[in-house]
Amino acid sequence: MSIIKLTRREFLKTSGTAASGIAAGGFALGVMIPTQATAASSEIFEPNAFVHIDSQGKTTIHCGRCEMGQGISTALPAAVADELEADWSRVTVLQAEGNEDKYGPQATGGSRSINIMFEPMREAGASARLMLTAAAAQVWKVKPTDCYAENHFVYNKKTKQKLAYGQLASIAAEMPVPEKPKLKTKDQYRYIGKPVPRHDVGEVVVGKRTYGIDTRVKGMKYAAIKHVPVYGGKVKSFDASEAEKMKGVIKVVNIPRFEAPYGSLGGIGVVADNTWTAQQALAKIQIEWDRGPHGVYNTKAYKAAMVKQVENPAKPIFKRGDLKSAFDNAKVTHSATYVQGHLSHSPMEPMVSTVSVTDDACEVWASTQDPAGIQRTLGAYLGREPKTIKVNVMMAGGGFGRKFKCDYVQEAAALSKAVGAPVQLAWSREEDTKTGYYHSTSAQHLEGSVDDKGHLTGWLHRSAFPTIGSTFDPSIEWPREQDLGAVINHPYGIKNFEVESGHAPAHTRIGWYRAVRAIFEGFAFNSFTDELAHKSGTDSLAFFRNIYRNNKDPEQKEKVERSLAVLELAAEKGEWGKKLPKNHGLGIAVHHSFESYLAMVVHAEVDGDKIKVHRVDCAVDCGEVLNPDGATAQMEGAVIMGMSLALYTEVSFKDGEVMNTNFHDYPVLRTNEVPPIINVHFAKNDYKATGLGEPGVPTFAPALTNAIFAASGKRYRSLPIKPIYA
Amino acid sequence: MSKKIIINGKEVSTDVDGNMPLLWYLRDEVDYTGTKFGCGMGLCGACTVHIDGKAVRSCITPVNQALGKKVTTIEGLSENGDHPLQKAWVEHKVPQCGYCQAGQIMNAASLLAENPNPSADQIEQGMQGNICRCGTYNRIKKAIASAAEKMQEA
Ligand code: FES
Ligand code: FES
Repeated sequence: MSIIKLTRREFLKTSGTAASGIAAGGFALGVMIPTQATAASSEIFEPNAFVHIDSQGKTTIHCGRCEMGQGISTALPAAVADELEADWSRVTVLQAEGNEDKYGPQATGGSRSINIMFEPMREAGASARLMLTAAAAQVWKVKPTDCYAENHFVYNKKTKQKLAYGQLASIAAEMPVPEKPKLKTKDQYRYIGKPVPRHDVGEVVVGKRTYGIDTRVKGMKYAAIKHVPVYGGKVKSFDASEAEKMKGVIKVVNIPRFEAPYGSLGGIGVVADNTWTAQQALAKIQIEWDRGPHGVYNTKAYKAAMVKQVENPAKPIFKRGDLKSAFDNAKVTHSATYVQGHLSHSPMEPMVSTVSVTDDACEVWASTQDPAGIQRTLGAYLGREPKTIKVNVMMAGGGFGRKFKCDYVQEAAALSKAVGAPVQLAWSREEDTKTGYYHSTSAQHLEGSVDDKGHLTGWLHRSAFPTIGSTFDPSIEWPREQDLGAVINHPYGIKNFEVESGHAPAHTRIGWYRAVRAIFEGFAFNSFTDELAHKSGTDSLAFFRNIYRNNKDPEQKEKVERSLAVLELAAEKGEWGKKLPKNHGLGIAVHHSFESYLAMVVHAEVDGDKIKVHRVDCAVDCGEVLNPDGATAQMEGAVIMGMSLALYTEVSFKDGEVMNTNFHDYPVLRTNEVPPIINVHFAKNDYKATGLGEPGVPTFAPALTNAIFAASGKRYRSLPIKPIYA
Repeated sequence: MSKKIIINGKEVSTDVDGNMPLLWYLRDEVDYTGTKFGCGMGLCGACTVHIDGKAVRSCITPVNQALGKKVTTIEGLSENGDHPLQKAWVEHKVPQCGYCQAGQIMNAASLLAENPNPSADQIEQGMQGNICRCGTYNRIKKAIASAAEKMQEA
């Protein structure tokens, strides 16, 4: 989900910090957070955007990144609290509103929150702590170095006197902001690296955590929508007379397609006194659709066409060495084609937002991964300056990449404008399933050669999939070099290597899905490696190990070492090579994505077409682990999402329209099929902390299909294994 | 006909269309937003509440069926958020996004009320109707088992 790549300079430019002359806290990494000089008379200490301490010592930490269950609103604030030497039990975490000038990049995806915000937020905490310490020193008329902060107090080293943070707040507010606060060393950590509980778990279990759908605004109305079922289609005509007669119906609104990447597909919306009335009225409206140019889209035929594309010479993208001679001199050659369908994110909270549009203001309450995207989209739609759009970032009931795109917010804005009141629009599950932004369907054809010593010598990788780029620019009909970057740079470093791209124009909106291309690329790399190992009579672990060890490219040294380390860790913990009963098998896979490294060993049992997973061992290298429990939870979730997509989930199109509708025909994994044992093992190293929201997903499916092969001799090359619409 | 419902111990009189699903009545009319919408078809369990102590899917239960009865939502499961399941959920750090968890807890509470000492299989069977897209299933099962144990001891 790498969408926004802000360099430090760009951020400074967009934030206006550099020019504004506001004292800046001097943040080391890619992001600089402006500090706010508070009024000298203030009782409140607010040295920067993130930290706020009142005279009672009540501490508020703002989280600028969006929360959707990945735990970022605990992980980052806990890091601030750690550097601040705050007592976590006295900290309230607040979700920051959409304001990138103030809080830094907020587009939450690509598993980047930790990478880009960990150090800046720690520095925000550290600089606040130094100011509190300086305040105490001033009170005691000693040097700041004679004082130290600990758990919400500053102590005088000599006299052992102490002052509470609350007592110091107003004095600290007048202290200069430190240039470059020194961060703690690992042994000084109080919360980082510890299983700090989520700040909001107490609210969740009593039903008090408010999600986007729980927004309640004075005077608000409720709405439902039915979209044009085919991308690029239109409403030809509609008859709403029955609906308009219903008690409680306020207005039926024809929402035209808004041609922006995150704009509405178009459809008919109903605004009413409550959601149910809106839904009932919507069902009474007769709509005739013009299905438009994509009314021919049929995924079964499309996948067959992609397979044909990749099983024949395609567009050359990258070439190294001499593939032909590698094949000519090989002892073993092999080829295989891997196919995967579209996926729908299907977070448990469907697309919901509440918007109030008036003549001079626009306010949004939405579960979102990208508040600035909302500002841009609504700015363009309403013809207003994006920064005038106030976006309240609500807790999202799952996102997985879907809530990056704010079509559901633009639609609520259209409805609010039409009725002159705040409107909450809640998509039905059917609309969520049928009119989303889908993970690319894909076909990949691989050819490989192994020499007489069992070394991998050649690899051809042909890939076809409709790209995410097509959502932004429909003229993109082939995966480009940048779309194939992870294939080209895969840390195998094979001497003779070619990458080709197959034609795959998009007929629907393609979007980021948790782990994105790494899902199908991880599947192809790991499946094919396992196939080559079997073909050449080598143990799979040994074959993987050998490939990485043979990669002597100095630029890939770190990637190779870290991949190997997780491979070995997974193999050891997953007891690779252990004796298993008949019809049981182990499968292994290793993949690097989003700057983290993952390996998995899956233990599966196959009985006819029944597949049971007994155990999964995950080896994880995400550098420094900030919250081991949160990281473990992310891995457990990734395994389950990986298993859903390996076995069941696929969005199928017929005549341009999605056939799946709800959880009966888009079945996600339920509790009875979950692997009873999911072990998560962390590699120990000193690398910088990297994200873990996505990297766990790609390794599961290939580790499973490799295990199925080991158990039964059956090789699955097409996902899902058990499609609803075959 | 009686047009009253007892919601979390409070009597509420209602004049909405009796066909309105209890889910939307609770959320939109009386602001008990702890009960969540997930599918609207009885497939996911996010909307689970109790009618007279038994778990129902409020998205497919019309308000009519609740008239004169006791409806309990997550907000009313315990006075102080200290139902053994709620405590076990916190202890086992179950929630990720948390959106499905009200339904999971309400379903589990009804399960334990009927069978205070469920086997692992019975827990699994009883919870099959509740989807968690974040994948917190194993923690849910552990939390239910540990809450059951605590309730037995008490
Ligand atoms: S919303 Fe009622 S079961 Fe899904
Ligand atoms: S915790 Fe997110 S759906 Fe269950």
